[in-house]
Amino acid sequence: MNRRLPIPNALQSKRYRATGSARRSERVVVALLMTCALGTVALSVLIVLMLLWESWSFFSSEHVSMTQFLFGIRWTALEVREVDKVEFGIWPLLSGTLRVTGIAMLIAWPMGLITAIYLSEFASNRVRRILKPSLEILAGIPTVVFGYFAVLLISPGLQWFSPSFDTFNATSAGIAVGILCLPLVCSLAEDALSAVPTSLREAVYSLGGTRMNTALSVVVPSALSGVISAMLLAFSRALGETMVVALAAGTLATFTLDPRQQSQTMTGFIVEMLKSDLEYGTVQYYSLFGVALALFVITFGMTLLGQLIRRRYREVYQ
Amino acid sequence: MSEPTTTAANLHSAPEPPRILIENFDAWYGDFQALRNVGARIAAHQVTALIGPSGCGKSTLLKWINRMNDLVPSAHSQGTLRIGDLNILAPTTDVVALRRVVGMVFQKPNPFPKSIYDNVAFGPRLHFKISQTDMDELVEWSLRKAALWDEVKDRLRKPALSLSGGQQQRLCIARTIAIGPEVLLMDEPCSALDPASTAKIEDLIYELRAHYTILIVTHNMQQASRCSDHTLFFLQGNVVESGPTEELFTRPKLKQTEDYVTGKYG
Amino acid sequence: MSEIPKALQDFKPTEASARTELQKRRDRWFRFLCLAVGCSSVAILFLLLVSIAYQGTSSLNSNFLSASHDPENPAQAGMYPSIVGSVILCVLCAITSLPIGVAAAIYLEEFQPRNRWLKRFHGLVQLNIANLAGVPSVVYGLLGLTLFVYMFQLFGKLEQNQVSGVDFWGVQRYYQFVAVDDLSVIMVPLGESREPTLKIQTPRPAFDTLLVPIDLHVWDPATPRPSDPEVLRRTVRKGDVGAAVEIYSWYYFRLPFGPSLLAAALTLSLVILPIVVIASQEALRAVPSSLREASAGMGATRWQTTQQVTLPAALPGVMTGAILAMGRAIGEAAPVFVVLGGNIAKRSGPEHLMDSCVTMPILIFAWADNPVEQYRQLAAAAIIVLVALLLVMNSFAIYLRGRT
Repeated sequence: MNRRLPIPNALQSKRYRATGSARRSERVVVALLMTCALGTVALSVLIVLMLLWESWSFFSSEHVSMTQFLFGIRWTALEVREVDKVEFGIWPLLSGTLRVTGIAMLIAWPMGLITAIYLSEFASNRVRRILKPSLEILAGIPTVVFGYFAVLLISPGLQWFSPSFDTFNATSAGIAVGILCLPLVCSLAEDALSAVPTSLREAVYSLGGTRMNTALSVVVPSALSGVISAMLLAFSRALGETMVVALAAGTLATFTLDPRQQSQTMTGFIVEMLKSDLEYGTVQYYSLFGVALALFVITFGMTLLGQLIRRRYREVYQ
Repeated sequence: MSEPTTTAANLHSAPEPPRILIENFDAWYGDFQALRNVGARIAAHQVTALIGPSGCGKSTLLKWINRMNDLVPSAHSQGTLRIGDLNILAPTTDVVALRRVVGMVFQKPNPFPKSIYDNVAFGPRLHFKISQTDMDELVEWSLRKAALWDEVKDRLRKPALSLSGGQQQRLCIARTIAIGPEVLLMDEPCSALDPASTAKIEDLIYELRAHYTILIVTHNMQQASRCSDHTLFFLQGNVVESGPTEELFTRPKLKQTEDYVTGKYG
Repeated sequence: MSEIPKALQDFKPTEASARTELQKRRDRWFRFLCLAVGCSSVAILFLLLVSIAYQGTSSLNSNFLSASHDPENPAQAGMYPSIVGSVILCVLCAITSLPIGVAAAIYLEEFQPRNRWLKRFHGLVQLNIANLAGVPSVVYGLLGLTLFVYMFQLFGKLEQNQVSGVDFWGVQRYYQFVAVDDLSVIMVPLGESREPTLKIQTPRPAFDTLLVPIDLHVWDPATPRPSDPEVLRRTVRKGDVGAAVEIYSWYYFRLPFGPSLLAAALTLSLVILPIVVIASQEALRAVPSSLREASAGMGATRWQTTQQVTLPAALPGVMTGAILAMGRAIGEAAPVFVVLGGNIAKRSGPEHLMDSCVTMPILIFAWADNPVEQYRQLAAAAIIVLVALLLVMNSFAIYLRGRT
């Protein structure tokens, strides 16, 4: 029967479409797609160019010296109007940023890592079904909301705890930024922990180890580079966080270690400067690009380091 | 039969090496019954091979003997599973102590991403409180016993992942015997290795049986006949034939066994 | 075989079980610690939502959703312009960033090159995207400020509060006159004139406020006043002065963009571009390679495979990522603040591409920063609206993800 089945017309005539047109359109499409990919590189280039171009207006000004910028401990761009009396020393802003970020990391690193360990090693499906969406919601909440939360609840709470806290202080902003970074640390660290092969966990159990032994002696050390990169990424995220510090950290650039004081951060200064009535074109105004350049260099370095570490660990496990 | 009173920790000081007793043993993964009505006696200080086609339940039995199946939420079982006087399945059984007595070597070598030395010392650090010299001695002894010492003695601090597959598997054996188990469970320990490494491990298994009760799951008939004393043949969750290896391989009682050991089956 | 080592000989069961007990106790404590920390993040979320709900629900009513910001009377203030602004901004942002982001992801995932140099380029793009995702959003805002708002000052110096630059299309200029009946408004086209005012002497082509042409009648006060109301409506007094006004169509376009809706949308689309790329890449990576092989095995080119097999299979994942990125765009405040400034006085949503615009996060920021307590409560109410909107978007994304 089968042998008598007539060959369909389409196969008999063998009028295949020429492959040339498909290949030509393929080339056009690849070029288009590649342009889009190139566009993302161009974006980076544009960011760098913009920062250099605009901050050049700042650094080339006769009122600004590089030494003062890098080592000065007073920043009065917003307070002093006479341009020759303004001091541009980055350290108050930098120390403010580091204070807030440091407090944030004190919260986000341990909590994020422990939550990640819990999720990857201990959690039953039921707990996971509550914990995971909560963290996802927390990650999706806009940053300005955390700023509001800091002003509404954290800061009064701190003042109730000890009246020596300023209304706006580094601690309340730091706590809010820490909560904001927590889901980031947790999800990246959990990815790294669950990438550790199950066979290693089985080996620990078969040697009579407990789950804690497994988590702390084998899983975390094996995923260490991933965990570190998660921490670095969170650090760089906290450095660049803007709205929380603009609302909660205060507007005074202080060079101190005291976390109870007001502390304007680099990002906080940028917002404050844009809010002020200083004209586009003044040296003070351009100083925000100098600050932005410093911020960019630091965060870029952190992210790059985090990515490089992450790549290395990926290679180990494939 | 009297109720067992022993705890797992006491197994180490039992006067005789413990035997493993399996009676009316059933095991499930969810609704799927992996083992039905299995019965066997595993002699001490001998090598028992578990053979049979894939999915017949050999590995399942192995994973119940040191309760690795506790990690699988859907796994449950009933029946008697006993080592010496200890009821393995009792909820009161100290799983950590049990696993100290019953070590396991896995299908794929799974050394920790630490140094060779730290891999072997990992178990003892969990269980013993000992001096550095004792630890050095223990590590050397374990590596010697696993026939790996001569190859690694100059590079104990090198990462274990730099070893070859066969060396890694022997390292895993050394790691297991470093905590002084009585029973070794081996789940296809050579399936990921080349023939030369396989031969070395087989020799090692043959040596080790003087001190350990060894259960080995294997798909390799030559391996079973070369290095085991007893053989259990599994088919669809049952032990259909068991006996001394030589007898089972030369004069199988059942047609299925003959087909399987001669390679006609499935 | 060597002697049994001391450690194994000395083994004492009682000591060992004590050690085991210790290990287990530690394990239980550790587990408890982990659980406590895990729960505390849920508790924080709960606390945050509850405290904001407590602050905000009393201000949440229909007037709040339909009114605009009122600098004098917080009780009458609302957030309507910011809702419209955020939604339009988000749509524009999606239109600009999604095609580019998905295309870049397709290039990175589906067209991995074999050539050594192209491979380098590939790695560079990949690393670059990861780094872009780490650039603080306020820096993107500054990029938007320079690139879109001022355009490197290529079109002359842009002064604050003053429109300058080059108009392209979508704007019509008129002189406005009040008709003699004191009710109607008459529009006279500017023509070639650049004068800010026009003193009318002779009849000219003219339109009413709906831009319907009318026959303009100029009345000399020295002559008797026309009595027909229909004529009065299209009559202006001779010598009246009209001021120039501009009427914009929604597609009005000029360079530089100034602090406008379009500038903000483009800036935001740069912010979320890396997020879109990364999410789309993950969705594409999740498509099993057997599908690609099957398609390639039938003689399909890589683009045909992508277009007809991989992309449809990855679409739910891509959509999920896109929605999450949009959520990020709606909630993002810093870059929008840098581009548009903190002005929240606008009474309506943006009316054309170059119009200014208020968004929800900007409004929340301004209200939360306001020293008047009632405005802070309004901020909480606005947060409830914003978070509710985001939750709806995110649950839709999770629903999409669940269907794959």
